[in-house]
Amino acid sequence: MNQIDPTTESRCETEAVPLPPTEVLLEWLRDMMLIREFEVRSMQAYQNRLAGGFLHVYNGQEAVAVGTIAAVNPDDPVITAYRDHGHALARGMKPEVGMAELFGRIGGCAKGKGGSMHFFDAEHHMYGGHGIVGAQVPLGAGLAFATKYRDEVIDGGASSHVTLCFMGDGAINQGAVHEAMNLAAVLELPVIFIVENNLYAMGTAVERCTAAGSHLIERARGYGMNAACLEGMDVLDVYRGMKPLVDRCRETSRPCWVDMRCYRFKGHSMSDPRKYRTHEEEEQWEDRDPIERLAAWLVDRDLLTGEAFKRLGKEIRSEIRQAVKWAEASPPPGMEELYHDVYAERWGPYTGTSMPEFLQRRRNDQEASGA
Amino acid sequence: MREISFRDALREAMTDEMRRDERVFLIGEEVAEYDGAYKVSKGMLAQFGPKRVIDTPISESGFAGLGIGAAMMGLRPIVEFMSWSFSLVAADPILNNAPKMLYMSGGQFGCPIVFRGNDGAGGQLGSTHSWCVESLYANVPGLKIIIPSTPYSAKGLLTQAIQDDDPVFCLESERMLALTGDVPEESYTIPIGSADIVRPGSDCTIVSFGRPVHFCLEAAEALAKEGIDCEVIDGRSIKPLDIETFSASVRKTNYCVVVDQSWAFASVGSEVAAELHRLCFDDLDNHVHRVHSDEVPAPYAQNLEQEMLPNARKICEAVRSATYNA
Amino acid sequence: MTIDITMPRLSDTMEKGTVIKWHVGPGDEVTAGDVIADIETDKATMEMQSFDDGILSSIVVDEGVSVDIGTVLAVLAEEGEEVAATPASAGSEPIAAATEPPATDEPHRITPVARRLAEQYGVDVATLRGSGPSGRVIKRDVLAAAKTTDEVRAAVPPSAQRESPPEVTPTPVPVPAASIPATRVDPAPQALAHNDRRAPVTSMRQTIARRLVESKQEIPHYQVSMVFAMDAMMAMRQQLNVELADQGVKLSVNDLLVRACAVAMHRNPLMNASWDEDAIVYHGDVNIGIAVALPEDRGGGLVVPVIHAANTKSLRVISAEARVLSEKARTRGLSIEEMEGATFTISNLGMFGVDAFTAIINPPNSAILAVGASIQKPVVREGELAVGWEMNATLSNDHRVVDGATAARYLATLKELIEHPAAILV
Repeated sequence: MNQIDPTTESRCETEAVPLPPTEVLLEWLRDMMLIREFEVRSMQAYQNRLAGGFLHVYNGQEAVAVGTIAAVNPDDPVITAYRDHGHALARGMKPEVGMAELFGRIGGCAKGKGGSMHFFDAEHHMYGGHGIVGAQVPLGAGLAFATKYRDEVIDGGASSHVTLCFMGDGAINQGAVHEAMNLAAVLELPVIFIVENNLYAMGTAVERCTAAGSHLIERARGYGMNAACLEGMDVLDVYRGMKPLVDRCRETSRPCWVDMRCYRFKGHSMSDPRKYRTHEEEEQWEDRDPIERLAAWLVDRDLLTGEAFKRLGKEIRSEIRQAVKWAEASPPPGMEELYHDVYAERWGPYTGTSMPEFLQRRRNDQEASGA
Repeated sequence: MREISFRDALREAMTDEMRRDERVFLIGEEVAEYDGAYKVSKGMLAQFGPKRVIDTPISESGFAGLGIGAAMMGLRPIVEFMSWSFSLVAADPILNNAPKMLYMSGGQFGCPIVFRGNDGAGGQLGSTHSWCVESLYANVPGLKIIIPSTPYSAKGLLTQAIQDDDPVFCLESERMLALTGDVPEESYTIPIGSADIVRPGSDCTIVSFGRPVHFCLEAAEALAKEGIDCEVIDGRSIKPLDIETFSASVRKTNYCVVVDQSWAFASVGSEVAAELHRLCFDDLDNHVHRVHSDEVPAPYAQNLEQEMLPNARKICEAVRSATYNA
Repeated sequence: MTIDITMPRLSDTMEKGTVIKWHVGPGDEVTAGDVIADIETDKATMEMQSFDDGILSSIVVDEGVSVDIGTVLAVLAEEGEEVAATPASAGSEPIAAATEPPATDEPHRITPVARRLAEQYGVDVATLRGSGPSGRVIKRDVLAAAKTTDEVRAAVPPSAQRESPPEVTPTPVPVPAASIPATRVDPAPQALAHNDRRAPVTSMRQTIARRLVESKQEIPHYQVSMVFAMDAMMAMRQQLNVELADQGVKLSVNDLLVRACAVAMHRNPLMNASWDEDAIVYHGDVNIGIAVALPEDRGGGLVVPVIHAANTKSLRVISAEARVLSEKARTRGLSIEEMEGATFTISNLGMFGVDAFTAIINPPNSAILAVGASIQKPVVREGELAVGWEMNATLSNDHRVVDGATAARYLATLKELIEHPAAILV
């Protein structure tokens, strides 16, 4: 059993933050359930060989993506690593578009050219989905730089955006992450680095690979950065912890850092036998399932009935089943896609670039509703 | 026309574009307060202020990645590497992110960014500081590489690079920064992927890129005295490669020497040779000859470094051999 | 087990050989050591012996066909074995003379642009000698030839003319003459009158052509002639032939000349020498080559069998050896050893009635003696007109090795020996 108990860590005072209305809380529940069902069907599709490559699922960490993203504005940029389905869905990506990407189909968010680790959604300010551990962190600093630059230099106003830059606990020993943290602090960039600390860097426990692994926030403090350790298994805690950090970051345009304690219910990837941890440990964490936890909280307060919860589950299963069907029906990318999107410019065999279908469709819908 | 230096030409391209387009900014080590490690950005901080001319820590991986993130959001960063030798620690962002972002995002996020800095031997800097990265990086699809050899092409190519929607690597040379030449005052662009015939000739084509173009011209003068009339072509871009201009010349001369300051193995030179063998097979009277840096780490001692690099003597020998005059 | 009989390597420079004649046919019994075929190499026509016993199962390469060393020529079935109808070597089609004319050319190395230009200007690349590395035909070779051909074509009707070669200099720069081999440009093949015949040259003819051109171009030839009174030698020959007839001895004038030349050589060692660029090699043995014309039915041509150490051999031995060698040369072909190592050559056209001629030196010899016929004619002997035998001989010399006086002294010695022939008996 992993000895780190997140509840003993120093925590921000979260009770003061008001919660949004019940409809929003029900949306969070729905979002978390959608992510969970999407991941369950991803695993099934992977085992049925509908999805190829690597598959890293988000089961157990749903509260992190949903709670953090709920704490920012829809046009605040989000960037993460390869365990990215949850963030994309929390950001509003349609499940069929994500599923089609897993299946390598033209209807996917990257026309089937990115795969599981590279979920992008420009419309929802989701900047990926990045496969190299820690590589997205300097990019995240760059996104924050860009919002600030746009707000200040181009629009001539004050910096008003916050970038959420996610990484796993395994990433924090990458040089690029430290360079990005230093840059963000020196250049005063409005970025929140969120370490989804699920206790394992792939199969290596935090304390086996990270110096002072139980006090990760000390790293951020070394860069003079505001830092917090948050409970990541409860979406309400996540939201209430994040909200003041986000507001402060937006206000001061200074980076912030979060050690988000959570747990990966499944292995690192589909080929992980999880020999490095015990069943007891897994069960103990599964008892804190963020979906069950929010549902219970809502039921306790008569904001949700058991029957409605069941109905919601059924609805979501049906929605994801539809998504799988839709993805299966989407054709593989045509051979012309091979040379498409390599360069924006057309030359040699390269045929320029274009938006994926789901973005075009969404834009068409927006135009139609606007007219 | 007025004459200005190579570094002034680079600066003019940047300042012209920064005036024209607010999305353009310059970031790198010592670019602001210090006025540029090589004075390329001299005066730019004063002109544009610290929000657009930004000093960074010595942290290439970090600020290269930062630039890419900013480009994803539609800004047009110019990222200066003091030397391309230092870009190796930023290999992941510049090779794994910048050139692939458009593709991996299915066309959603491009990367209109310029990375620029000194490439090639600076003069007795030893091996770690003397990288010629062109062959190393030219292998990667999704990026473009320009390598000006004159102030005129420096301004025109860099201006085009900043306006370009794709990531562009601009390879400059510390040894050419003080080189002067005619440069128009007004802004202009040179298309990326267009070579320049800098010396017309009929007997042998010499193709080169960047600083060695000057050694080729030197060699061509010496060879002219021997009766060999060389056509010297400045490739100006490595990616895309203006192979049409090279092959048209080779069809005329039937002989070709490629001069590339990187190492021979799997290099720009070998690519040019392979393409010319493909395109000009029936027009060649000899195989394409190549002059490269010797396959050794760049030495410190001046005499050894001079011998290691392509030089006029090696080029003359290659041309004589290629034209059966050895 | 069948045994493949392959094209043997019969000389150090041989790469291909031509089957001139098969002495056996399918079904014939072959014993090890039997001569089964005549093979023409670049140097000579040679006998090919079988190394094994057996029945000739099949002939793979027909007469007149040239193939690389190692090519299967025929297949031998060992005793007790079925005689296979097809060659044993898998996939080897019988190479028929009709489909595969003798390839006498070396494979041409030519650059792509030279090949294209040759086609454009109608230059036959087979006629070109390349000036590039390893004889590679390069652009300037073709353009030079095209220019020549173009001049030749000046009289051709315009419709038959092709595009003229470009005005540009055919070569990037004039090259120092020493640094490139001379480019020999042959004119276009001559037009043939209706009863003319073009015969492809045999490899022997090519070798003769190449070596003699080299000799005549490289060696500064000069000639020295002398008339020899042959009465004493003719008398001695007749006497010896009568006395030794029952021992099978039959000396020819040539045998006596070989011996006389060898002895004269021994007395004038400066003549027995070869030019070797930075040195002159003086040979110990006197090896006399005898030019032998081959009959037309064996392809014609000329070989030079060698009497080794002729200065140490008696007339009887010389005579016997010369007879065997010239017979073998005319019928079966000589071995390499039998043709190697000459230090001096005698070419005798006396039997055709030629009274005097000059010969081209056979490298690496420094001299060759061209011998005319011994003719009975009015002569002055001791101040009186008489009828006597006289023979004219002309010595061609390599002036790099042999000066005029040396040659003259040699002829004087030879004259002394011929006119007082008893000396050659001991």
